[in-house]
Amino acid sequence: MANVLWLQGGACSGNTMSFLNAEEPTVVELIVDFGINILWHPTVGLELGTQVSDLLNDCLSGKTQLDIFVFEGTVIEGPNGTGKMNYFADRPMKDWVKDLAEAAQFVVALGDCATWGGIPAVPPNPSESTGMQFHKRQKGGFLGADFISKGGLPVINIPGCPAHPDWVTQILVAISTGRIGDVVVDEFHRPKTFFTDFVQTGCTNARNFAEKVEGGFGKRGHGCLFYEVGCRGPMTRASCNRILWNRVSSKTRANHPCLGCTEPGFPHHDLKKGSVFKTMKYLGFLPQEAPAGESKLLYWFKAGVGKFSPTPSELREHSK
Amino acid sequence: MALKELNISPVGRVEGDLDVKVYMENGVVTRAHTQAAMFRGFEQILAGKDPQAGLIVTPRACGICGGSHLYCASSALDVAWQTTLPPNALLLRSIGQASETLQSIPRWFYAIFATDMANKKFANKPLYQEVVKRFAAYVGTSFQKGVTASGRPVEIYALFGGQWPHSSYMVPGGVMCAPTLKDITRAHAILNHFRNDWLETVWLGCSIERYMEIQSWDDMMEWLEENESHRNSDLGLFLRAGIEFGLDKFGQGVGKFLAWGTYLHKDMYNKPTIEGRNPATISPSGFFDGKKYYDADQKMVAEHIKHSWFTDQEDGLHPFDQPIPTPALGATNLEHSDFNGKYSWAKAPRFMGFSAETGPLARVIMAANPANKEHQFRDPLFGDIMAKMGPSVFTRVLARMHEATRIYQKIDEWLRQIDLDGEFYIKPTERDGIGWGATEAARGALAHWIEIKNGVIENYQIIAPTTFNVGPNDKDGQPGPIESALEGTEIEDPHDPVEVGMVARSFDSCLVCTVHAHDNKTGKELAKFKL
Amino acid sequence: MANLLWLKGGACSGNTMSFLNAEEPSVIELVMDFGIRILYHPSIGLEIGEQVKEVLNDALNGITPVDIFVFEGSVIQGPNGSGKMNLYAGRPMKDWVKEIAEVAQYVVAVGDCAAWGGIVAVPPNPTESTGIQFHRRQKGGFLGAGFNSRSGLPVINIPGCPAHPDWMTQVLVALATGRMKELLLDDFHRPRTFFTDFVQTGCTNARSFAEKVSGGFGKRGNGCLFYEVGCRGPMTRASCNRILWNRVSSKTRANHPCLGCTEPAFPHHDLKKGSIFKTMKYLGVLPKEAPEGESKLLYYFKTGVQKALTPSRKDGGSK
Repeated sequence: MANVLWLQGGACSGNTMSFLNAEEPTVVELIVDFGINILWHPTVGLELGTQVSDLLNDCLSGKTQLDIFVFEGTVIEGPNGTGKMNYFADRPMKDWVKDLAEAAQFVVALGDCATWGGIPAVPPNPSESTGMQFHKRQKGGFLGADFISKGGLPVINIPGCPAHPDWVTQILVAISTGRIGDVVVDEFHRPKTFFTDFVQTGCTNARNFAEKVEGGFGKRGHGCLFYEVGCRGPMTRASCNRILWNRVSSKTRANHPCLGCTEPGFPHHDLKKGSVFKTMKYLGFLPQEAPAGESKLLYWFKAGVGKFSPTPSELREHSK
Repeated sequence: MALKELNISPVGRVEGDLDVKVYMENGVVTRAHTQAAMFRGFEQILAGKDPQAGLIVTPRACGICGGSHLYCASSALDVAWQTTLPPNALLLRSIGQASETLQSIPRWFYAIFATDMANKKFANKPLYQEVVKRFAAYVGTSFQKGVTASGRPVEIYALFGGQWPHSSYMVPGGVMCAPTLKDITRAHAILNHFRNDWLETVWLGCSIERYMEIQSWDDMMEWLEENESHRNSDLGLFLRAGIEFGLDKFGQGVGKFLAWGTYLHKDMYNKPTIEGRNPATISPSGFFDGKKYYDADQKMVAEHIKHSWFTDQEDGLHPFDQPIPTPALGATNLEHSDFNGKYSWAKAPRFMGFSAETGPLARVIMAANPANKEHQFRDPLFGDIMAKMGPSVFTRVLARMHEATRIYQKIDEWLRQIDLDGEFYIKPTERDGIGWGATEAARGALAHWIEIKNGVIENYQIIAPTTFNVGPNDKDGQPGPIESALEGTEIEDPHDPVEVGMVARSFDSCLVCTVHAHDNKTGKELAKFKL
Repeated sequence: MANLLWLKGGACSGNTMSFLNAEEPSVIELVMDFGIRILYHPSIGLEIGEQVKEVLNDALNGITPVDIFVFEGSVIQGPNGSGKMNLYAGRPMKDWVKEIAEVAQYVVAVGDCAAWGGIVAVPPNPTESTGIQFHRRQKGGFLGAGFNSRSGLPVINIPGCPAHPDWMTQVLVALATGRMKELLLDDFHRPRTFFTDFVQTGCTNARSFAEKVSGGFGKRGNGCLFYEVGCRGPMTRASCNRILWNRVSSKTRANHPCLGCTEPAFPHHDLKKGSIFKTMKYLGVLPKEAPEGESKLLYYFKTGVQKALTPSRKDGGSK
């Protein structure tokens, strides 16, 4: 049995909606079969008003054991560091977050807003939003770089805009089946089991990445979206093409460029002119950014070598 | 006019092709001959090929038990190549074997067996309407739920093996995959789907834990009457309707049982040998002659071909001593069988000289052996049921279904035991030699014997559970288990001999049945006619 | 409403088992929602004995129209062309196949055995098995290269060992809902909608293929199985990594080399020594077979160039 408390700060509820799509396991199974007891959730919780503040206070006083604290949305610090742009149960939400994070065994930041600020934190960041333990790529965020929860882990970041539903339910299962020791996190505090592969891992267009066959909107045939329409699949860590979305697909499988939403830079280039659905080209035909793990020089050189190869005609084939 | 002839060709809903010759008197079967009606020659295809060819070919011997064939094929190579198996590999192989068997339980019950309970033969029984509502093909409420849920366990197989059926992920030295945390947690979740979609909600009407408290037939009856949820579950309905329809009254069989056992313990079979295998099984092996338990020593197996369409070999040879089978094509007229001579593409395997039934009933009997060790199944239920009721269509079906809860719990336990930091595969050195691998397919004892010489397969012998169960007479005229189980069966409507189908299907034989009926006095096959 | 008749020859029932796993649509939906009436199926049919013969004879006599005839398993012609190694309902199965194929609107071969003989046709082919309209790569097979069913189409092959369940159910839905015209077939009579992509399309190891990072059994890290353990994903057409298996996976996703089972040569190299789970190497480090669509020379050239350039970039894998 593990008690879970879920709160939302500067959030759109997208992660909650995603969570309700979970399949392995489903939300209902999480509760019925894996002993997860959801103390409260803003969308599906039953309590209201003072019942909620009583419940939160019980968590803080230790009357109710708080095993997992899930936070969705940014921590809003505006205006001027007061947090009054997001009031909840008579206090700035940021104050609840600080106190509950201290009381919980494990703290889980769900979605890009909670992990590193996400879209609300794009300049000019009108709400003074930040993530729980990161601000964009910078460690620190709201709780500070050194924060460790009672269970001995820093904030566990499950990024994505939204996060894949099974990423969060499976982490909750890992905790409930005694496998928390197998949850290894990377430098951005992401569980490596989901964030070691790249989005390109299992992408239906991956071979055309290697063959430099480019794709575009409205076309069949698995052209790679990296070259023209800004796909970030080769440099974004997430299991989107391994554990499919909504059971059947993923962005790149549906010919949609990866937006890189599990990386702390999202939205990348701060949405500046020319960065949306266009591969930024600073050096002629070569994309500005090289895939993760390759030096730019080597990648460009290889790209140049690859260009000499005729494109295999089969790779362009398609069928309805 | 006491004698009847009957031609049922085919019976269907058993896999492959099987004919049964039935002698009837006053509508009761007095003698039967089973006849496998198709030859595919897999051993001939394997001879002279790469030693690992069995990993690809044998799962395709049977698409229903492909994972079980793979379990045997990889084990046989492990023995021959003297591999070392990491605990994780043994766990992942057991999980694969168990998932396949768990899949088969609802799929077999609803798609293969229970539709016969909706046959008009039982229309005058009080529970018939309820049975039809739930078990009728396609439209039955439980048919839909059960067949749909049957796809779930093999999703776990696919997580580790890539797909089901027909993966080859178990290789000598371990397994191909190196699963991650997300695979393990997905598998736990899928297992729960199965429990919620069918096992507890539809089949049991109670928790797995409550059901597992049942230790005797009296406990079972007490459970049944405990509340409406139990009575109205599909198991509750099967118990009530099975007795009401008289399924406990026919299909007895030979009364001798063989199980190779399976699920090699993760820490007890890391250095695979023939001798070390049986003690390492979690689902125990054994031979039960109706009174006593014996070791299931593979040396005690022999195959007979007196009544099989094979030639150039003696009767009663152990698989290692048998040649690759040669079909007897010359003298035999395959479509007009000589039941005094050769009449089947199946050989007749015998254990310690006896015809033995294999399958879930054999396994649950072995689980009741008081000598079982701490790491093995210990479950007295079917010791009691056999003593009180004996074998029948009913007990065989109940045994099959009884396994679901225990297998479910084991898969969950094994998933928890996988050490994600441990090894999954240790590359072996290839060498010549002999090997034996065995398991329990959903429908019974399966084993492979391999001999590797000059780097290729010299000999490959498979004895499938169905070979034991549907094999023909041996050289001494001793009938096979289904042949024996058909004796005494009363056939009400020769145009719709559902009883014969139910007996054959209770064994879940992997063969399509054809029944020829014959004049009991002359033994001649009569002209075919519709009755 | 479309009447479907399913028979099995030299089969292991693997395609039937796969069929029962179907999800989009499921077999039950096929019957309940898409109006497919299963006249008979050997594993799930209700008829028995004489009743089956009546169904078959009614089909032959035109009393019951057969819209779709599905055949699973090889056509067994042994011994000596008689077909008596596979008797069914009192006759060689091959005779039923020939006659029913003549009366059916569409003939569908499911699985490799029915499509081109499969494993049972590997030399010495003890049962004289063949496919319905192909023998291995050769057009012809049992019914002959010129055969067209009543609808005007040749045998529709849905290969695979086994075929993916959704390939089968989706083709059946296309036939039953009158979308036949959109079902384009390739040279091997495979519906192109499933058999244009390669198994590598969507493989989790595809980038390692390009980078020449080799994988092996029992290892994490998405190494490519083409270089050492004989994966045929780059030259095998099938949607295994697009429409996943059993909803969750595929062979190569589980680190299992693709066996190339949707191509007519399966099992490749006739299982000869050294061909199983080993990439056959005739030119030093280079695999013998180049991926589909590349000339060997070009492929080798690229391989050589990249071998020298590629830094060791393995992401290590994580549990």
